[in-house]
Amino acid sequence: MTIITHIAVTAIGVQALNLRGRDAVLAFLFGVAVDIDHVIKAPFYLRYAGLTNQKDYYWRSSLQEPVAFLWILPLCLYFGTIVPALFFAIHLAIDYSVGYEKMPFYPYSRYISRGWLTQYPDKTKEITLLAGLACCQAYLLWVHR
Amino acid sequence: MLSGIPALGSPLDPLYRPVTRVLREHLGLMPSHITWASLVPSLLAALTIARGHVGAGLWLMALGQLLDAFDGAMARHYHLASPEGHRLDTLVDRLSEAAIFLGFAVGGFVSLKLVLCALLAIALLTTVVDRAGFDPGAKRMALYFGHWFTYPTLFTVIFGVNLTAYVISLLVLDCRFQLLMDRLGGDLDTIATRGALAEAAEEAVHR
Repeated sequence: MTIITHIAVTAIGVQALNLRGRDAVLAFLFGVAVDIDHVIKAPFYLRYAGLTNQKDYYWRSSLQEPVAFLWILPLCLYFGTIVPALFFAIHLAIDYSVGYEKMPFYPYSRYISRGWLTQYPDKTKEITLLAGLACCQAYLLWVHR
Repeated sequence: MLSGIPALGSPLDPLYRPVTRVLREHLGLMPSHITWASLVPSLLAALTIARGHVGAGLWLMALGQLLDAFDGAMARHYHLASPEGHRLDTLVDRLSEAAIFLGFAVGGFVSLKLVLCALLAIALLTTVVDRAGFDPGAKRMALYFGHWFTYPTLFTVIFGVNLTAYVISLLVLDCRFQLLMDRLGGDLDTIATRGALAEAAEEAVHR
C-alpha cells in the first residue's frame, strides 16, 4: 500500500484512541515511519536498476516484518504502552494485504508469504480500505462535532 | 574481562599467557572448565550486590570477567577453540549477566522492569551477533560507571544500545540478502523465494 494509506490509517487511529503527546508520536513512528527502510534500500535499487522503473523490486526489510515485534515489544515494556505494537500491527496488516513476496521471520526463517486475501486483486483491497477509512473519518468527525 | 571488546581479545593474550600456561600445563584444565569457573564469582557478585554491597560485588564481577578472558586466551593459544566452546562461553556470559542484573534489581538499585528490558535486548542481540558481526559490547562493562551515573541510567543505556545494535544487525543481514537477490536478478516477482533458496545453498556449502 502507499504511504498515504499508512498515514491515513494512523491519523484515524490516533484520533479514535484520543492519543496525545508521546503516544501520538509513537503511533506515527510505528505506523508510518517504519517505512524508512525504503530509504535504506534506495541505494540498492539505484545500483540495480538506476533510474529505470523496476516493478516488483524487493523493497522490504525486517524493520517492517512481524520479526520486528521481537524488538518492538521490549520497547513497549520500556515505555509502558502498547501503542508501538498496536500501530505496527496495523501497518503490517495493511502491507500483508498486498500480494507481493514477503519474508516475515527473516533472518530466523526463510519462510515466504504473499500475505492474506490473495484471491482478491490488490487494487480492490486498497479501494475497499480507503472507502472504509473515509467512513471511519466521517464517523469520527460526526462524533467530535 | 575484555570479551565485550573482541578486537582487544587477541592482542592481550600474551599478558594472560603465564596464567593460562599454569592453568593448562600444570593443572590440566580445559577452556570449558575456566568458562564454567567464571560463573562462580559472577553468581557471588550477584548475591553480594543483592545484599547491597555494590563495590564488593563489582570486584567479584571483575574476577569473573578476568576468568572469562583466560578461557578465550587459552583456547586460542592451545588451538582448542571450537564452536561448542564459543556457544558455552556465550551461554555463561548471558547467565552471569542475568544473575548480576537481577542482583541489582533485588538490591533495589534499579527496577525489575528495566533489568528485564536490558536482558531482553542483550538476548536479542546475541541471536544475530555471530551472523551480523556487530556488538558494541555495552553489557556488564557499563556497570563499572556506577560511580558517575545512576544505575537506572546505566541500565537504560545498556537496553538502548543493545536494542539499537539488534535493529542495525537485522538491517545489515537484510542488506546482505538484498545484495544476493540483486546478483540473482531475473523475475523480481519471485526474487525472495529464489534468494532464500540461494542463501540456503550457500550455507550448506559453507557447512
